[in-house]
Amino acid sequence: MVFNTGAALLDAIVLAVVSGEDEGTYGYRITQDVRRVIDVSESTLYPVLRRLQKDDCLEVYDRQFDGRNRRYYKVTSRGMAQLNLYRSEWKAYTKKINAIFEGGVTA
Amino acid sequence: MNRVEFMAELERLLADLPEDERQAAVQYYADYFADAGAENEAEVIRELGSPEKTAESIKADYYGRTFDESRFEHKDYMEKYGQQASGQQTSGQQQAGTASASGEEKKPWTSRGLKILLIVLIAIVVWPVSLGLICAVLGILAAVVCLFAGLVIAAVCVMIAGGVTAVTGLLMSVAYPPAALMTTGIGLLLFVLGLIATVGTVKLCMIVYPAMLRGFVELCRRPIHGKAV
Repeated sequence: MVFNTGAALLDAIVLAVVSGEDEGTYGYRITQDVRRVIDVSESTLYPVLRRLQKDDCLEVYDRQFDGRNRRYYKVTSRGMAQLNLYRSEWKAYTKKINAIFEGGVTA
Repeated sequence: MNRVEFMAELERLLADLPEDERQAAVQYYADYFADAGAENEAEVIRELGSPEKTAESIKADYYGRTFDESRFEHKDYMEKYGQQASGQQTSGQQQAGTASASGEEKKPWTSRGLKILLIVLIAIVVWPVSLGLICAVLGILAAVVCLFAGLVIAAVCVMIAGGVTAVTGLLMSVAYPPAALMTTGIGLLLFVLGLIATVGTVKLCMIVYPAMLRGFVELCRRPIHGKAV
């Protein structure tokens, strides 16, 4: 990808990835899912997850797995609202960019 | 460095964070290694770079600083997207050393002032040739200007000659009426032809001269300002 992924877009992608799992998902899997679409280093996501957790967009809980506690992330209702905001913003944004790229006045 | 060493080093580097922050980060990366599995351990460590880099990314976010990844690894644009497949990466610490050295972007060394100076210098060096060339261009310009001016003058002259002939014919009318009529007729015809030619050539000049001027200005401007201004 030649385009930079800004903080807000990264937040939105992480929220979308986590919201895809009803039971919640864990750090390693979130990283793998995000890395399928954008090129981020493995150390990028922890601060993002931590920040989203502090902003009450994500909640964490520990669950037994393979004889250890694994930390799971789940989207809160506040996180869901935030994600929906990002979605509509993204739609409006890409619509404008597409209009310029494809030469149409309005798509 | 293996996973245990990495985690110990990371925990040590996070010592100045509050207890719960450190616990959360350590738990996250411990989970991460466990979920990645032993077979991916080396890969994860390579990707994370170094405990220092990982710790800085955590602390930067906690203290609200922007995490400057380039301090730890310098990925040039072309490097990043061109050589990604080759998987050549040195450790974070080595890159940290070279990052600052190669980090500064090179600015293009040319500038408009320099360009103009160069053109002037070249003009001086090739002065004997360029003088001749300039004279030739000016000569051709003068010739073209005079050609069209000449056409206008010629047309005006035909008009005047026609007028004079017509007047002469009228003066002759008492002595030789038939000749006078013919002379007057020819005179009037010449006058009208001259008039039409004058109008035509003046119009022509109005088109040619501004176009020439524009062309000349463009010719002079091009080497200095580039194609489109």
